[in-house]
Amino acid sequence: MPTLPGGALSGRRVLELADEKGVYCGKLLADMGADVIKVEPPTGDRTRLFPPLTRTGPDGQESLYFLYMNTSKRGVTLDIHTPEGRSLFTQLARTADLVVETLAPGTLESLELGYESLRRANPRLVLTSITGFGQTGPHRDFRSSDLVASALGGAMTVTGEEEDPPVRLAGTQAHVAASTVAAVSSLIALLASSQRGEGQHVDISVQEVVASVSHICGVGKWLEDGIIPRRRGTGLFASVPSGAYTCRDGSVYLMVNRPLHWTALARWVHEVTGNQEILDPMFEGASSNRQPYRELLDLFLADFTSRFSAEALYREGQSRHIAITPINTAAGVAGDAHLASRGFFEEVVHPTAGRLRYPGAPYRHSETPWRIHRPAPLRGQHNQEIYRDELGLSESKLQALQAGGVI
Amino acid sequence: MNKAGLMGDGSEGSPALAGLRVVEFTAAMAGPWIGRFLAYCGAEVIRVESKSRPDVVRLYTPPRNPEMGIQPRLSPWFTDWNAGKHFVALDLRQPLAVDLSKRLVARCDLVIENYTAGVMDKLGLGYSELKRVSPELIMLSSSGYGDSGPCKSYVTWGPNIETLSGLSHLSGFPSRARTITQYAHPDAISALHGLVAMLGALDHRRRGGGGQHISLSQYEATVAGIGHVMMEALAHGREPERLGNRSPHAAPHGCYPCQGEDRWCAISVSTDSEWESLCGVLDKPEWLGDPRFTSLAARLEHVEALDAEIEGCTRGCNDYELMESLQRAGVAAGVAQNTEDLFRHDEHLAARGFFEQLEHLQKDRVTATGLPLGLTGTPGHSGRSGAAVGEDNDYVFGTLLGMNRQEIQAAIEAGAIEPADDS
Repeated sequence: MPTLPGGALSGRRVLELADEKGVYCGKLLADMGADVIKVEPPTGDRTRLFPPLTRTGPDGQESLYFLYMNTSKRGVTLDIHTPEGRSLFTQLARTADLVVETLAPGTLESLELGYESLRRANPRLVLTSITGFGQTGPHRDFRSSDLVASALGGAMTVTGEEEDPPVRLAGTQAHVAASTVAAVSSLIALLASSQRGEGQHVDISVQEVVASVSHICGVGKWLEDGIIPRRRGTGLFASVPSGAYTCRDGSVYLMVNRPLHWTALARWVHEVTGNQEILDPMFEGASSNRQPYRELLDLFLADFTSRFSAEALYREGQSRHIAITPINTAAGVAGDAHLASRGFFEEVVHPTAGRLRYPGAPYRHSETPWRIHRPAPLRGQHNQEIYRDELGLSESKLQALQAGGVI
Repeated sequence: MNKAGLMGDGSEGSPALAGLRVVEFTAAMAGPWIGRFLAYCGAEVIRVESKSRPDVVRLYTPPRNPEMGIQPRLSPWFTDWNAGKHFVALDLRQPLAVDLSKRLVARCDLVIENYTAGVMDKLGLGYSELKRVSPELIMLSSSGYGDSGPCKSYVTWGPNIETLSGLSHLSGFPSRARTITQYAHPDAISALHGLVAMLGALDHRRRGGGGQHISLSQYEATVAGIGHVMMEALAHGREPERLGNRSPHAAPHGCYPCQGEDRWCAISVSTDSEWESLCGVLDKPEWLGDPRFTSLAARLEHVEALDAEIEGCTRGCNDYELMESLQRAGVAAGVAQNTEDLFRHDEHLAARGFFEQLEHLQKDRVTATGLPLGLTGTPGHSGRSGAAVGEDNDYVFGTLLGMNRQEIQAAIEAGAIEPADDS
């Protein structure tokens, strides 16, 4: 059966011709039940070698990156740079609702697989292209990477400490965000295509996605106040108090935005430290009232938080409805009792990597449950199933393609 | 006024989500940004607010005119997260307001809420209640910890999720215990994941399925986005290394200082031919023969020395000129731009029309960051911003729900509908 049962997108077919920029888009759609076919070059996707790898076993090692990013997909190999490869790709595109690709602008056109060609084969098809800078504009042919997109998109100058260089976030967040936006746009385009019988070309620029995500309150604010946002450690400009505060055995993150939360915090600080000044009415109300006193309030709070363990401050703060959270390590997340009680981590058995725990559902549908439908595909694992059983290629044709290095 | 919701035929030439109607019970960013995208694509989005519990984003004092006090319509955040929506004001503690909310939901396709888990149920507006008035409803509930588990009622903001999820601990330079963004990264990531979930459910419904409830934990959505990093802890019981700007697959891979204050250029070099191009642009032919740098493996091994050498060159360079030269030579490079750079100096974003000019009810026009959807066949558009709490009471209760003047007035007197602010 080509279609996996149960997910919201069950019955939708997606071809994924994607590197790191688009791999998470395919995962989002596949874990929601779409039949996502990952099309790899015959030599295999280069991310199959990304470290860290699984422990050496009798069947070799697998990349943890690849295992996580390709759950629920099927996999075929195909050299789209050969005439037979192009023809097979077009045949596959006839059966698909969506193609997600990340090649440099103009590459698909040069292979006669651009939007116009694919549209002739399948007018309802949505083609989603994810590139560093988009399909148009003076930088369209610029080279990109997660780091370069994070820099040019404006995320790095507002991440980290003032005295450090700009820095990027862990785990390719520019590409993850671009993939998530690509999934949003692809689904919107699919909804429109179903109603109108006409697909479209979706043009995702990783730089624009980063600019959008990191400037959710950026340009308009700057035009108002003339203050260019900069790195400023852990506190946020608009929220007072906010930041990482030191405890006896580590630190916690604390943020106050609502007037009521300030009142609750000030009372608690007073109870514990006897500080009278913190109850001064001039500190009450919106964060903007406290903005001139940020340093003073931080001194009051440092005296307060240093009397607690991080765990005690977290739990008691939350019981008082104050937004205090731990600064978790990866091990802290992996062992979190709250996540465990929700069954967040999923066990997946992969033919060579074996049984491992994976991060699970980012959202939970009540009627069409999110799940990992299958482990990441081995290289060319579904060649026979898809080319022979579904497209109807003969065994001898398959062998010829294999001998010719097409698959 | 946008009456797209009343046309309802999704005809050609109209925006992609024309005909869709959405109600929001939201606050701050992680919820409202979802509705912002839907409105941009042509959905009619109605946001329910209350004067007794104003959105923190409305508690805005104009920085250049603090004497004006709080100006709920002028906040640029409010524009960025809420442009194009309709606004009604209801005091949801009043039974009549709850009843009106249900009547509104009955006329809608989607509901978005991001109150603390359990609040909608207490108000009598939980999914099981709303499903009765709208059996095909798709409802998204987004909260910090999700709607089950021992911490479900905990209070969080975006940066709390940043530290809770491990993102802060895993990010940044090895010398720092944690690294935090100024833009609450998890808020955007959670909103985008919420959109994916809702649109998937909508596609399912349009293809013959029913409605459903979607629960999103911002904590879990953020962990999913760094799941590939988390795998090392899950598979090997090992804390992933903090890499800063470095990469296990590329070297040099960093953000290097340039001329001027706080000016930097990021450079990524994966292949040997890119390395040769870099040496050419920086005029360092001697590096080509340097055994420390002749292969990626060697460059990774001597990455400290490599970065120090490159810094020594870039310090004398203009950031934009360096980027242009490297890009011309086929090397991935980009200036670490700030807000002003994006808006004033990025000719590429300007050519693509990334920033949007919006109609603002009090300021005439304002500029907002663009939405990066790239729907070339059905381009989106931002509607007006600067609406007051209750701005669209008359349209929503009168035109949409068919209440007459007296009924609306009675609901105002009963304290259920709050009259529009005219400040």
